Amino acid sequence: MDLLNNLYTGFSIALTFNNIIYCLVGVLFGQIIGVLPGIGAPTAIALLLPLTFKANPTSALIMFAGIYYGVAYGGTITSVLINVPGESSTVMTCLDGYQMALKGRAGAALSIAAIGSFIAGTVSIVILMAFAPALAKLALRFGPAEYFALAFMAFGLLMVFGGEQPIKTIISTMLGLLISTIGLDVVSGMPRFAFGVPQLLGGFDFIIIICGMFGIAEVFSSIEEPEEGELVKSKLRLRDLFLTWQDWVASRWAIVRGGVIGFIVGIIPAGGITTASFLAYLAEKRYSKHPERFGTGAIEGVAAPESANNAASISGFAPLLALGIPGSPTTAVMLAGFMMWGIRPGPMLFQKNPDLVWGLISSMYIGNFLLLLINVFLIPAFVALLRLPYTIIMGFIVIFASVGAYSVNNNFFDVWMMLGFAVLGYLMRKLNYPIVPLVLALVLGNLAENSLRQALMISGGSLSIFFTRPISAIFISAAILAYLTPVIRWALKGLRRPKVDTA
Amino acid sequence: MSFFRGGIGMRLADLIGGVVVLILGLAVVFFSSQLPYYSEFGPGPGFLPLWVGVVFIGCAIFVIINILRKHDKIGTFFKPRTKLGLQVLVIIFIAFLVLPFLGFSIGLALFIGITMRIMGKHRWVSCSLTAVVTAICIHLIFISWLTIPLPQGLIGW
Repeated sequence: MDLLNNLYTGFSIALTFNNIIYCLVGVLFGQIIGVLPGIGAPTAIALLLPLTFKANPTSALIMFAGIYYGVAYGGTITSVLINVPGESSTVMTCLDGYQMALKGRAGAALSIAAIGSFIAGTVSIVILMAFAPALAKLALRFGPAEYFALAFMAFGLLMVFGGEQPIKTIISTMLGLLISTIGLDVVSGMPRFAFGVPQLLGGFDFIIIICGMFGIAEVFSSIEEPEEGELVKSKLRLRDLFLTWQDWVASRWAIVRGGVIGFIVGIIPAGGITTASFLAYLAEKRYSKHPERFGTGAIEGVAAPESANNAASISGFAPLLALGIPGSPTTAVMLAGFMMWGIRPGPMLFQKNPDLVWGLISSMYIGNFLLLLINVFLIPAFVALLRLPYTIIMGFIVIFASVGAYSVNNNFFDVWMMLGFAVLGYLMRKLNYPIVPLVLALVLGNLAENSLRQALMISGGSLSIFFTRPISAIFISAAILAYLTPVIRWALKGLRRPKVDTA
Repeated sequence: MSFFRGGIGMRLADLIGGVVVLILGLAVVFFSSQLPYYSEFGPGPGFLPLWVGVVFIGCAIFVIINILRKHDKIGTFFKPRTKLGLQVLVIIFIAFLVLPFLGFSIGLALFIGITMRIMGKHRWVSCSLTAVVTAICIHLIFISWLTIPLPQGLIGW
């Protein structure tokens, strides 16, 4: 009954004219961002965040959530039609989607992506409605030890899901932690790494770093190595979007499996929508009776990753809303939004701001439905966007980033700092240092440090507090396992290497 | 010597990156050692930064040793279009320098017009028109509609 009551509360908020418009703007914007190269969901939300300071937080969050799941829909269009993923979460879609387009089946590929995303997304929202309050109830039992252990586990998981060079993932994570310590220490009140610069006493605002490292840095990378592909020259007609019976039969279980994998990966801190789509594709290929068809235009190779990335973008809200812990850069930016509006996400959010939580979750049903309609009827309009010159897109990014950075504290110091972070982000990308660990460590840094200090104060300096409390012990054990992943991988690699016969 | 063959190789760039991380780690350890490591109520403000610095140093040494041990070629740092990216960086830098004097609307509009000309090789007429439209849009959206107190420069727009 609770679920139905919550649903009723949510829809009574999400279905107001104002919020429907915010939702529509969000999904349309997300779809456009997904199509445009060089700009992703975290950048888009970070660029818009300072502009929504005066907006109603529920409406603004409905719009940002729309951008988040809308981006995955938009990225599919470029993956299928020009073999260039508009978003990292649609990389796997290129493999079979583009092959389908070359065979004249672009319509079917786009259609199954939209329908799969809609089904997996809608089911994920239902599960989220049941799961998030339960998680919030569990989180009420969390103390400093559990919060530190959770953050510690999130840092460890970054190594599991991070790039090929775990050592660079660690450096990136440490850099994020270091930046989070800049400014006044909240416990002792002592300045750290401020070097007498008054603007640094408050630390760096998250928006400035995101605008620089994701926004402007991406501009430099896109100019240096433009993602160019050739648009498949086949006219998309409405009837091309209809699926055949064989398409349905081939995709139905791929959608279910992709959705389940996506939902689970989305909840895991540092999991993210890209990992979800990657794992769903690999799982589908392994499960298939005809794995040789994958990469040649198999429709289930589109259905699985597309369902997974949408499910993950929905389930990613569970740790954000229930624990106040973001699992991806996009939810990290949204956390910055919560802070900007003076709302603290976490277990108490469900009791203090039920309108916001249920309004946001219910709006996802509306958003996914709107996206399904948009993707069936408006695809040609979004294809036209691919012809927009990059200089214009770049100009938009620079304008929004500089206005966003300035409006945080109304000073030019932040604008210059943003440019500094842009150069740092660009260099890190070039040298294969991943950016995501830095961002997550930056957001979780204060929580991790303060929880650690509070836990050790409670225990009188004994580390046993992290191992004697069951929930904390589980997180710490998972974290240790995650930190050992590179060693385990290395050992397994050694075992699998064929022995050279020296005889 | 193999580092310098054919411009700055990725190995040299990676090595420089490793050295920078090492220097950063040493600096973090130095500055955080001046903060109290432990206080009356548990770990002090120097606790976390000190360990961050130590991990930086450890990782940097690992990265440097790894680069020196490997000898495979992994491409060059500067790509054919890196120069274009640097040009845009310089234009953004100049734009930010003049923003306090010209204001956001005109300063960023000029930035758009100039980059369109340099990067996109668009005609002067298109560049000028886009710049004018951009200036009007920035003023209407950010200053008039969203009432963000952006500097309006000497011209007052």
